[in-house]
Amino acid sequence: MKQWFCSVPVLALLLWAGPGYGQQANDVYQVLRDGDGAAQFAPVVPGYTLDFPQDHGPHPDFRIEWWYLTANLEGANGQHYGVHFTLFRQALFAQQQGLEHASPWASGQSWMAHAAISQGDKHLYEERFARGGIGQAGVQSQPVFDAWLDDWQWLGDGPSPLPGQLTLSIQGQPLTLQLSSNKPWVLHGEQGFSQKSEQGQASYYYSQPSINIVGQWQPRTGDSVALTGQGWLDREWSSQPLAENQSGWDWFSLQLADGHKLMAFRLRHSDTEQHYYSGSWITPEHKVTPLNSDDIQLTPTGFDVIDTAQGEKRIPTGWQLSLPTLKRQWQIKARSANAWLDTLFPYWEGPVQVFDNKQAVGVGYLEMTGY
Amino acid sequence: MRSLLWSWLTLLSHYRRHPSQTLFLLLGLITGVALWSAVHIINAHARASYAEADQLLDAQASHWIQAPNGRVALSDYVALRRAGFRQVYPVLELRLSTLDNQPLTLIATDLMAMSASRTSPTQEQSNSRVDMRAWSQLSQPPYAVWVPASLANSLPLQAGQRLTLRDGRQLPPAVTDSQPRQGQRLFMDIGAAAITLGETHLSYLAVGAIDPAELKRLDQWLNQYAPQLKRRSNQQPLDLTELTASLHIHLNAMSLLAFAVGLFIVFNAVRFALHSRASTLTTLRELGVSARTLTSAIVLEGFTLSLIGTALGLAAGFGLSQLLLPAVAATLQHLYGAVLDQRLLLQPQVLLQAWLLTSVGLLMALVWPLWQRSRQGVLAQRQGVDVLQQEQRSQRRLAISAAVLLAIALLSYPWLNSLAHGFALLAALLFAGAWLLPWLASQCLHWLSQNAKPGLAQWCWAEGQVQLGPLRPALMAMLLALTANFGVDNLVGSFRQALDNWLQQRIAADVYVQSEQLDAHQLSQYAWLLDSHERNGLRLRWQGRPTLIRGLDPSAPDVQQLPMASQSYPQGGAAWPDDGILANEQVQHLAGKQLGDVIYLPLGNGEQQRFTLAGFYYDYGNPYFQFYLPYQRVAQLWPNAQPQGLALWLDEDANMTEVEQALVEAGAQPGDWIDRRAILQLSLRIFDRTFAMTAAINTLTFAVAGIALLAALLAIHQQRLPHYAHWRAMGVSWREWLQLTAVPLALCLMLTWVLSIPLGSALAWLLIHDINVLSFGWTMPLQWQGRPALLLALLCLGVTAIAFAIAALQVRQRLPYALKQLGADE
Repeated sequence: MKQWFCSVPVLALLLWAGPGYGQQANDVYQVLRDGDGAAQFAPVVPGYTLDFPQDHGPHPDFRIEWWYLTANLEGANGQHYGVHFTLFRQALFAQQQGLEHASPWASGQSWMAHAAISQGDKHLYEERFARGGIGQAGVQSQPVFDAWLDDWQWLGDGPSPLPGQLTLSIQGQPLTLQLSSNKPWVLHGEQGFSQKSEQGQASYYYSQPSINIVGQWQPRTGDSVALTGQGWLDREWSSQPLAENQSGWDWFSLQLADGHKLMAFRLRHSDTEQHYYSGSWITPEHKVTPLNSDDIQLTPTGFDVIDTAQGEKRIPTGWQLSLPTLKRQWQIKARSANAWLDTLFPYWEGPVQVFDNKQAVGVGYLEMTGY
Repeated sequence: MRSLLWSWLTLLSHYRRHPSQTLFLLLGLITGVALWSAVHIINAHARASYAEADQLLDAQASHWIQAPNGRVALSDYVALRRAGFRQVYPVLELRLSTLDNQPLTLIATDLMAMSASRTSPTQEQSNSRVDMRAWSQLSQPPYAVWVPASLANSLPLQAGQRLTLRDGRQLPPAVTDSQPRQGQRLFMDIGAAAITLGETHLSYLAVGAIDPAELKRLDQWLNQYAPQLKRRSNQQPLDLTELTASLHIHLNAMSLLAFAVGLFIVFNAVRFALHSRASTLTTLRELGVSARTLTSAIVLEGFTLSLIGTALGLAAGFGLSQLLLPAVAATLQHLYGAVLDQRLLLQPQVLLQAWLLTSVGLLMALVWPLWQRSRQGVLAQRQGVDVLQQEQRSQRRLAISAAVLLAIALLSYPWLNSLAHGFALLAALLFAGAWLLPWLASQCLHWLSQNAKPGLAQWCWAEGQVQLGPLRPALMAMLLALTANFGVDNLVGSFRQALDNWLQQRIAADVYVQSEQLDAHQLSQYAWLLDSHERNGLRLRWQGRPTLIRGLDPSAPDVQQLPMASQSYPQGGAAWPDDGILANEQVQHLAGKQLGDVIYLPLGNGEQQRFTLAGFYYDYGNPYFQFYLPYQRVAQLWPNAQPQGLALWLDEDANMTEVEQALVEAGAQPGDWIDRRAILQLSLRIFDRTFAMTAAINTLTFAVAGIALLAALLAIHQQRLPHYAHWRAMGVSWREWLQLTAVPLALCLMLTWVLSIPLGSALAWLLIHDINVLSFGWTMPLQWQGRPALLLALLCLGVTAIAFAIAALQVRQRLPYALKQLGADE
């Protein structure tokens, strides 16, 4: 009796994993590496000029894409809240020309969304799926920016997501955030062309690391909490972002008290200790210095053992991040180890604090996959 | 204790020395238990399935959201999801027909929407790779359709093949796979189904587990934004349990009959085993074993046998139920829309019940001979008594019991009002017949023997009397099997005839169209259109049962010739009485309403409307109550009534291609219409499927009776082998032997067959007149058919000939040895 129900996540997994499934049965992230499957989709090439607000909308010719918000917020009750919301789009198969108009069901697009809130050691999250084409989920940038899945919605005031409003409920508990920014968009890598490996895997990647947020959280019990703070929006799309030997990544978005921002990640190689590093050092005015493997050093300094659906996992929750060329160094600590999402694509995503010689100098978000 | 153990072991050693007896004893037990348990397992399984009928593909569906026209707009579904009703998921349920008019049901849903949001660690991870590949096939071109293995076999359809539908469309490649709750339905991804079959709307929406506050919000939302959509709480589990109760009682009764026939073999085997151990028993008594210990040992033996028989019988029954399940599942799905899982489970209570049933049966078989023995002294047992006298006494006793049973049955008949009573009457009739048979046969033999010329003929009839004793249970089993077969053949034949006649009248139009977009007026321009009839209707609940209201044109040709069971107003152009309403027979027989009775039907606004019952029409196969009213009246009383199809009468020379072309031009889509021939074929096919199970059980019952006869003959001949040796020694030739043994046997079986005809007719009469009406609310005339009787005579003859030939062959092999024994004795 149980079997059918079990199969539902499995189905979703398959939809998401696509035809490449089966080579690495246990790794749902294989879809990000599948080179054969990627050939049906548009390639990511250098020299593309990002075009706003057009590029805030979806890129259905590419295989995978996301709208990814993380935020460190302060409650009126004095408590710290971490929030993240992600909308993923994935093309299950390349759309045959003309067929998309034949039937709304003919769309090859599928959607997945995650929302999570953490406060102290508490961590609530929810995952949703929807097929594309029928209007149950989607993103558009005209006439106004609108990204939605069921009743989760990010609605812009105009064609840009900012300013805008995000309306969610996490396990039935409503969360609304007003989002705005007066800073320019930050393009990573070469004008938004962000390389992910020496073999040429890449994505288009831009961010808004300075988002002012005012919001409201209504927990199931107790009074509603007014929230204020800083958010970070990442936009990325690709057809094959990972190389075959890349087993996962550690990604940091840090907002320093002096107004600087830092995005840094390492893609871990399964066959060598030489991992792939990349990042952006962003001034308060959003001037960007791209960082590469020579500029970034990342060392885990503390671990926690977490209970997950796949068993116990040892997760690095303390890090030392150095930028030797810029002569900067920080200690980064997760606010709580309890930030694992046992979603279809399981990962750790949680708020962190940034220290410089034991002095708190900033906040941020850390995402770790492949553990 | 010790003496009990030794007595028990001594008694059991008999079975080691006589493997054929052991075989027949167990065969009787196993076949009886197997047939009973197979039906029981299926029934229990079906009932368990109804309890889960509020689940769709294993997700709970506590409510349905439906549009009156059966088509929910995709935009309404999406709006509901975007309003936060994540418990709602879309369903496409389509009735399809194959090229050769096999009815199929396709169910499709959006598995992505159904996947509940996961908010906590889940341990349930399936790791079946085959499943995964199937899943991915479902949702991506060229898509796939999941076909349950038994359905794939019956179509037949190989994995990877595409099923072609009657209208020429093709389904995606088949994958032979099925999941819980899929039943005998095809399953597809909803997107794939919508694209493949060109569906633009959804059939309905299912609502999963929902809390009362959300439900209230859902009702408000529907009221405000989609008033055409109606939420209906899922009463399927309740309805199905009620609607199918009769069918399950039928099946149960048949299985009990099979069990009874099996028990006759056991009776025979047990009694023969006791008889042939008479000397062993006496020796044990002489050795000082008390009568009580001996009886205990025999009872213990009975329990040992029942344990073995039950275990093997259940194993066989489980296998058999797997074979019979598709037929039952198809019946339930087509008649009641009930979905049965394809996976059967053996429940512990079935084990216990089967064992109890066997034990009781064995005890019954043992009690009589044990009681007889207990009345005789040890010495009397050694000396033996007049077997023939004893046999005649028991024949008389049986005949008197039969007469009493018949009298009780006849006297209680006027009070017949429940199904259980009906089946009790059936059982009384059957057993009275069975008990009367030996006495009748004996009287017949006696008369023949009195009137025969002295010599071989007289000897022959006297020999018949001797054989009659041991043959008695086998004859009774044969009578039961013949009677049941003849009775049910007549029932099925009558029903098929009635259904066929009824369909010919009811399905009078040439083409039936079911289409939303069809503009019926556009068709009136064609010369080939002689007449048309448009219906409307809705579904509501009346007297706690799903009820259909249909609006029709009283002057339409098919209404003019509506097959009526009874009516109080003249048909043929007469005006429809003001508050008159026509109801199907089910209303008369199941709801107990009579002509002229006043009934009240609920209107949509919460009020009730008064009607007077003006007539009852035949409505075979409909598990629901149904009422007919004029089209306008339905439209006026129930504004939410929706079109229920259009019937077209065509000119004889009408070209079907032309008609189809006109239908398409008028807005219908291929697949929206079905012609008369196809609909008749479809109906009769569903009918035949419904009775496939009956036929299967009957055939098996007949086989069991055949085995009983063989067992009895083998036992008789083994017992009488020393006599045969004497005969041989006296110069009786092989031919004469054949005549002496075969002729009385043939006579007995002929008598059995003759008796089965009135008994079977009475059975059919009772089934049609009373049991069927009580179960389904249908009446029909009994069409007495002679052909099944002749066919059964041939079958009976064949089975007897085979059994006799095997037994005779054994005698021939053993006779020289018996002759040698004879010599040795002397």
